Amino acid sequence: MKPVDLARKLRRDAAFEPAVLGRGKEALMAAIRQEVEPRNRPTVIPQLPYADIRAALTFLERAFGFREIPATRMEGADGVVHHALVEFGDSVIGIGTQGAHGAVSPQRGGIESQYLSVAVADVEAHYQRARAAGARIAREPRGHGAEAHAYEAFDPEGHRWRFVHQRLREVTQERTSG
Amino acid sequence: MGAPSDAEVIGRSLGEPEAFGLIYDRHAATVLRFLGRRAGARVAEGLVGELFRIAFERRKTFDASRATALPWLYGIGSNLLLKHRRAEARRLRASARMVAAESTDRRASAAALDARLLFPRVADAIEGLPDDEREALLLFAWEELSYQSMAEALELPIGTVRSRLNRARAHLRELLEPKGKGRVRSQ
Repeated sequence: MKPVDLARKLRRDAAFEPAVLGRGKEALMAAIRQEVEPRNRPTVIPQLPYADIRAALTFLERAFGFREIPATRMEGADGVVHHALVEFGDSVIGIGTQGAHGAVSPQRGGIESQYLSVAVADVEAHYQRARAAGARIAREPRGHGAEAHAYEAFDPEGHRWRFVHQRLREVTQERTSG
Repeated sequence: MGAPSDAEVIGRSLGEPEAFGLIYDRHAATVLRFLGRRAGARVAEGLVGELFRIAFERRKTFDASRATALPWLYGIGSNLLLKHRRAEARRLRASARMVAAESTDRRASAAALDARLLFPRVADAIEGLPDDEREALLLFAWEELSYQSMAEALELPIGTVRSRLNRARAHLRELLEPKGKGRVRSQ
């Protein structure tokens, strides 16, 4: 038997679920739409450094509800993720490598130099979700249920996040402008 | 009037990006099977999205004189697979075990016994080929691409494809010959 025929004999068709094709189409069309209607990207993008970017992306999605923006992930040939963008509402945050651009993860630096304030529609639900996903709570919510209006939590590398009720921001704005 | 060619569709997608969806509809199943044969269904599912997104981003560079986009998609897929060499090696060995098992199931003949010994060695030998030769061999033997399509996929002249394939064959034969030049592990 010739080598090529042997190789041919090893050919195995991989079975895939029909749903995979549908999901792939959706992802492609979403990426295409993004090019068609470039959304207004915010002018300022905070960049957060992490030692383990993959773990950070998973946590931020599961615990805090951030979503990785498709096709923004930068990966090395070795499969290590160097940078990615995540979005929440109309805001974007860069998830970068600890040490790059002089930025230090609190895990390494032992200190938080800043915190991020995120407006959410339902603070209580967000708090429950974050807790269920293992987020360490830095400050319990003030008020309960629909009254809850802010809480603070750490991500696995010690960045501090503050989640505030959307309404609270609106009230503050009215006060300052009035 | 027949359906528009891939080149026409891609040309149209430059002004009307959503037209590119038709390229997916036409070729995604073939491409998914190609990736699945090489790296397994799980890895293939992740790669197929990446492959078409890359194709979409690079659609300006598609050679409009080519009627079908499939070889071009194979080329992008081949590059993506390089990052997944380990998954590919696993898949190849699993295929070899299955082929060997089938051969012995049917009839415990001497030939079947040979197959059981041979196929895992073929898998190892393919895995051991240099990247460019392995790619050429698998596009030819697994995907059954013509020399012309392989040349398009690998962006090489046909003559280079031919010689690369010949080198792959010679290497493979050398690795498999029991009385070869001592490069085959003793059993």
